[in-house]
Parts: sequence; structure tokens; C-alpha cells
Amino acid sequence: MEKAKISAYQLFVLIVLFELGSAMLIPLAIEAKQDAWLAILIGMAAGFCLFLVYYSLYAYYPDTPPTDYAQKIMGTVLGRMIAFLYVLYFVYLSARVVRDFGEMLVIVFYPETPLFIMNALMVLVAVYTVRKGIEVLARTGELLFVLVSLLAISGLFLIVVAGIIEISNLQPVLEEGMKPVIKTAFTQTLYFPFGEIVVFMMILPYLNQPKKAKRTGLLALGISGVTLALIMALNTSVLGVATVERSLFPLLSTIQAIEVAGFLERLDVSFMVASVIGGFFKITLFFYVSVAGTASLFKIKEPTQLAYPLGVVILLLSMMIASNFTEHLQEGVDIVPLYVHFPFQVMIPVILLIIAFFKKGKQNDQAINK
Amino acid sequence: MVPFFKRKKQSNKGKRQERDSSGSSKNSAEEKDFIGSSLAANVDKIRQKTGYSSDLVIRLINIGPQSEIKIAVLYVKGMVDSQSINDFLIEQIMKNKALQEKIMPNEALDIITEEAVALGGVKSVQDWEELFTVLMAGNTILLIDGINKALSASTQGGARRSVQESTTNVSVRGSKEAFTESIETNTAMVRRIINNPNLWTESMKIGKMTKTEVSIMYINGIAKNEIVEEVRKRLKRINIDGILESGYIEQLIEDQTLTTFPTVHHTERPDCVAGNLLEGRIAILVNGTPFVLLVPALFIDFFQSVEDYYERFDISTALRFLRTVTFLISLIAPAVYIAATTFHQEMIPTQLAIIIAAQRESVPFPAFVEALIMEVTFEILREAGIRMPKAIGSTVSIVGALVIGQAAVQAGIVSPAMVIIVSMTAIASFATPSYAVAISARLVRFVFMISAATFGFYGIILAFIMLTVHLCSLRSFGVPYMSPLAPFIPGEAGDTILRKPIWAYSKRPHLISGENKVSEGKHQKPGPPGPRNMTNHYTEKGE
Repeated sequence: MEKAKISAYQLFVLIVLFELGSAMLIPLAIEAKQDAWLAILIGMAAGFCLFLVYYSLYAYYPDTPPTDYAQKIMGTVLGRMIAFLYVLYFVYLSARVVRDFGEMLVIVFYPETPLFIMNALMVLVAVYTVRKGIEVLARTGELLFVLVSLLAISGLFLIVVAGIIEISNLQPVLEEGMKPVIKTAFTQTLYFPFGEIVVFMMILPYLNQPKKAKRTGLLALGISGVTLALIMALNTSVLGVATVERSLFPLLSTIQAIEVAGFLERLDVSFMVASVIGGFFKITLFFYVSVAGTASLFKIKEPTQLAYPLGVVILLLSMMIASNFTEHLQEGVDIVPLYVHFPFQVMIPVILLIIAFFKKGKQNDQAINK
Repeated sequence: MVPFFKRKKQSNKGKRQERDSSGSSKNSAEEKDFIGSSLAANVDKIRQKTGYSSDLVIRLINIGPQSEIKIAVLYVKGMVDSQSINDFLIEQIMKNKALQEKIMPNEALDIITEEAVALGGVKSVQDWEELFTVLMAGNTILLIDGINKALSASTQGGARRSVQESTTNVSVRGSKEAFTESIETNTAMVRRIINNPNLWTESMKIGKMTKTEVSIMYINGIAKNEIVEEVRKRLKRINIDGILESGYIEQLIEDQTLTTFPTVHHTERPDCVAGNLLEGRIAILVNGTPFVLLVPALFIDFFQSVEDYYERFDISTALRFLRTVTFLISLIAPAVYIAATTFHQEMIPTQLAIIIAAQRESVPFPAFVEALIMEVTFEILREAGIRMPKAIGSTVSIVGALVIGQAAVQAGIVSPAMVIIVSMTAIASFATPSYAVAISARLVRFVFMISAATFGFYGIILAFIMLTVHLCSLRSFGVPYMSPLAPFIPGEAGDTILRKPIWAYSKRPHLISGENKVSEGKHQKPGPPGPRNMTNHYTEKGE
């Protein structure tokens, strides 16, 4: 483990940027139609439970990353296998997000630039950051969080001023009852984006005030959940359900609809700024966590040395995981949540927690609060 | 391979020397070369060692009843105050009655030390190395025949630049004094502002050849001990021929060399040094330069001028805000123009897009080349303007106005919009208070231009993220460079882009200062006097 410490506020910022990263771009929970925002909020509430599972594990082992304590809980062989699978999972997710952003940029802004170049640039910046370590990433987060917040607040202000919000688009609430909402929440939004907070199991040991971990995590999840719900509600109310369902990046369409005072229009670039920053944090966090996991698994003393090789792996993987964007999206909706996210976000942590509980008993909060 | 090993050996040797000098003084004293007792031999040796330099003055005096005791007075012409030598040294010795009586040479020494010489800083010197150091620093040496000791009297003087107004840190309000080249004057100027025994200075000589006097200045209790220790350690490490300017020191004590951003602050103003000392920073004064170094230096320090604290807080906040904006302009304005015209035409309002397109129609170059031509031309002009004799200066500005201006547009090389962008960038880069940061922004600007030309806004954003990561990874004497913004320190963020009111500065910077953290008392906010006592005095009386 790197010798580094991050503060509670830094953790908060990282979680928010991470959660918003790619989730704010896509039509999240649109299977629930105009009640998408509700599905997001329910997903968030379920995400709280998942976070509490991760937190409890952290409370048992406040100084070690999960790649280490998995070995303590499950024994060396099985634990190492689990840790290795987690590293693969993080690498895969990192590559997925790289692909998401590369595709978004190629489709929307740079139709003639090869996808590989877009991905390579992003990975290059991520490699540079990962080499600098978690502290630098957290500080960068603090600075860029201000920029993203300013963009978000001014965007919201402009949408309101432009008068393009049609509340009727959000009605009727619960047209088909709770069932589709609940279904969407538990098949989609719980795992993406809220369950992905599983990466912070690897980050939590760096926290300098372990007591604040629970509050900070829940607060950050709550704020990002509310923001995402607000974004989807805005998208739906501005564009209408049908358009949101069809569009790849509804937030972009919403921003394009802004027209204030005759010259504040076509603010696509602000969308790009916010999304690239968010994407950068999501990619870099997954990337960093896979580097840290690999280092602790194979006992490598200088984790930053792994940034280059793993960067190449992530770059190549991002090109190979799907032959085109449609296939990529299809995998993301049909396969990843059930067969990838569910075991790693829910099954393994819960099993680990149960075994840890039987091994260590109820000394849960004592380790942290002493 | 051989030179590599050689260097390693040498560095080992250096380390050993360092250890020796810091170790027991007894040991090193044995190796020293002492002054002999024969005056003629001593004077010969000094002559020989200094290569019979013509500016070394040796004056022989005879004292005693039969004038049998010979004394030599040595000093370097121009470096001493010759009047004080004449009045207080030579004259006093010649006229002293005790010295005219029959005395022994060693008595003469005592009499001269205690009675005759009417100068401060008299001390005896025993070994040659010290003698030469003292002599070359502008002191006067006194040698007496038959005594294996020399006497040095402090007579430093000679022509120095007087205290003048600062030329690099100009301000509207505040002290007009600026540092000079003399370290004693500079130290005194700071002491005059901070009248406190806790203002401590430590001196050392750096430079094997130049033996430049360098002193560390800090306020005991306010400065953090670890940082003082670190500064001391880094200064002691320096093993170099000469220190010509504080820039040498700066480059030898930086945390990271591979960056365009300065991690050591420098200033010419005593009030700026005093203000920073009060925050817990450490000043490094170097003899021979008016630029005093301040560490640790944070990124945000380079956007603050000492005058911000003299103006009222709302004005200063507005000015600081403006400076942040100008820094961003000087960094990315050409890049944004290139990106907008090359990749993202849709973001320019239609009318403006048409105008720009019409202007660019006759220009044969892509926007990037156009911008590069103009930026490079501007940098050339600026560089020429700085080092040009003043008489030719006006020629440069006239020619410059032609090159970056109407003539360039008429020649069809650049578009008028580009001229505006480049000029705006230039003005913005001059509005940054610190030259060091402005010049690094100028370098980074070219990186932004290249990334904008190749990948449009995506390139700019990635370059911006990388720049942020880089800035966040820097440290100045262990203090994160971007603090108190990142890591965010709530109480202190008010003194960054904002400038909180003076009455709200209750604490010193947390990461920089030592134990003494409280900088002002409670309830400092001023207000009108109590209700109706004074304010409504006249109206109530009905006058």
C-alpha cells in the first residue's frame, strides 16, 4: 500500500466525481420512463446498504485493502483468487469507461478521429496521474470539483432561465405502478453507478479520519444520487420521455436546447468539459485501484511502476471489449450488471462480511473508534 | 564508466568533508595553517598569495619609543571605508601615548585591541584561511611583528547602491523602499519593520570561490522548526564555486526541478518579506542581490501582491479575481481560439463566425500556424525590448507595432481577430504580479496551443487536467503547492483568490507556521461607536 493519506473531504469529492462520471451522460434508468428519477433514488437507497456492507468490512480491517483482507478472511489461496478476480474486474471496468468516453467523443465531437487515439490520450493522462499517487489524484479532485460544480450550477441556472422545462413531461408519476421502477432500480441503477462504489473499498484505508468514513460515504452517495436524479428529471422534462429513450446522450441534447439572450447557446463544450473531467476521475480511480490491487497482490514495492503496463492493458482492452458501440451498450445493459456487477458488488462482499463476522465477532466499530 | 565512478568518489569525499567540518573543531584546528610571528614573512606570504594584486594596500607603521615595533595595516582598496581607517585606526595608533612608551610586542597588541582602535568588530585571527576571508570581505588586518596573531577590524565600506524604489515590485500604496545589494542593509530593513528579538538570523558562507554571505531569517516560534531545519540542511548541502544571485540558491534548493512553475518566491520589497515572515515563512537573503527568497512558496502566493493587504478587502478581492482570470487568459486564450476556429465552429455565435471566416479567407495559414507566428513574434519582441539599450527601445516598439498590428493584417499573414487574441494574451500575461509565474504560463501556453491544434477542446481539457495534476503533485519544502485550495483548508481559502477582511485573519497558515498560530486578537471587527453617543450627538441637540 502506498504511504498516503486523504482527508474526508477529499474522499467525498472523489466519490461524487466518480459517481457522476459516466452516469450523468447516459439515459440512466430510462426503462422506468418518466419515473427514472425515482428509480435512481431507490437505487441510491439500495446503494447505501451496499456501502454499509463495504464499510463494515473496512471497519473490521481499517488498515488493509480488500486484496489483503480477502486473504485473511478466506485463506491465502482462495483469498488471492478473489483478490485477483477483483483486480481483473477493476481493469475491465476501467477499460469500459475509457470506451464509453472515447465513443462519446467520436460520435458527438470528433467523427473523423480514430477511437484509438481518443482512448490513448485519455489513458495517457490517467497513467500520468496514477504515477503521481492517490494524494495527488485527491487534490486534483478538489480543484476540478469546483470547476464541475460551477458548470453544473450555471447549467441549471441557464436551463431554468431559458424556460425550457416542461413539468408535464414528468407526469403522470407512477403510470404503471411501482413495479417497473423497482425493477429498474434493482437491475440497473443499483449496480451502475451506485454499486460501483465498491472501488472505494480500496481507497478507504487511506482515509486519515476513519471515524468519518461512514458519514462521508453516505453523504457523497446521497448527493450524487440526488444530482443524478435531478439531471434525469431535467432531461425528461426538457426533452420528453420519447426523445430521452432514443438519444444516446440526453444531457447533451438538454444543454443544446438552452438558448438565453440570443447568444448563450450551443454550450456543447461545457458538456464536454464536465464529462471529460468526470470520466477522467472514473477511469483514473478504477485504474489506480487496479494498480494498487496488483501491487498488494504480487507484493510489488513500487506500485507506480505498474502504471505503464496496466495502462497498455486497459487501452487495448478498451478497444477489444466490443466491436462497435451498439455491442458495447448491449453488453453494458444485458450482461455486465447481472454477471459482472452482481457477484463483485454484492455476492463476494456479503460472503466476506459474513465470514469476517463469524471470525472476528462484534468488535466491528471498536477498531475504528479507538 | 570511469568518469561516473570518479564523480561518485568525489561526492563521497565531499560528504566526508562536510562531516569533518560539522564534527569536532579540535580536529580541524590541527590541520589549519597558522600565522607566523615574523612580520616580513607574513607580509610576503600575503603578497604572494594574492598575486601581488594592486588593490591590496599594505601600510607599515612603526611604534614604540624607538619605533622598534613594526606594524602592518592591510586592506583592499575600494572595499573599505578609508576615512574610518585613517581616523580611527592609523591615527589612533600613531597618537596613542601608551604605545610610545617602552613596551613589548604582545603588550602592544593588547593596547591596540583595548584602547587604541576606535572601531567595532575587532577580533583576533590566527589562521591564514580566516585571515584571507576576512581581508577579502573588506575588513582591515593589523599585523604586529613578533606576534603570531593578526587583528581584524571591521571597516567595510566603499560605494554601494543606495536604497531606492523597487523597479520590479511596483506598488501604488505602501513603502517605497526596496532591498539593495548589501546584505547588512537588507537585514536591517527587515528588522526595522519587525522590532522583535524573536526575529532570528543565521549566516553562512556559500560558494567555494565567492564565499557569498547567505543568511536565513525567520521569526522564532512562528516559523515551523522542521521547515527551518530543512532549509538549513539544503543550504549546507550546496557545494558550488560561486553564488552570483539568489537565483543560484533557488535552483539548488528547489523540491522539484522538472517543472516550469517556481516553488521558491522572491521579492525586492522589505514589507513583503516582513509580511511573509509573520506568516511563518523563511527568508533567505543573499549578499550582492536585492532579491530575497521566501520559502515555502505556494502557487497562490504568486498571484498576490503585498499591496492587496493595504487596500480594503472588497477591492483586493476584485483585483485578485481579475488576476486569476488574466492568468487563465494568458494560458489558454490562443488555444481556445485555435480550437474554436478549427474544431468547434458551432460554439461561436453565427454572426461572429461569419466575420472570422471572412477575415480568415485571405490568410494562407491554418489558425495554429497563424497563432504560432504571432506568439513567437511577440516573444521575440518582448525579449528584444528587455535587453535593448534604452536609446534604441523606441525603435523596437515602433517596429513591433508594425509587426503585430495593422501591417501584418494588411500583408495577409494574419487575421485581425488573431491580432486581438495575441495582444490580449500579452497584456494578460503582464498583469500577473509575479514574473516567474507569468513566464512559465507563457511556456505552458504553447503546449495548450499544440494540444488545441491537434485535438480541439478535448486536447485543451486533457492538457488542463494534466496541468492540474502536475501542480497538485508539486511541493515546496514539503508543503503541497496548491494548498490551501488542494488540500482544501477551510479557514485559509479566504486568503487565496479572495482576500478576507484584515480583522478576520485570526490564524496563521496552518501548514506553514509553527507553534504560534494566533495572529490577531478576537473581536477585531471595527464598528461605529455605541448607540447614539457620538453619532447623533449634534442632531439630537437640535443644532
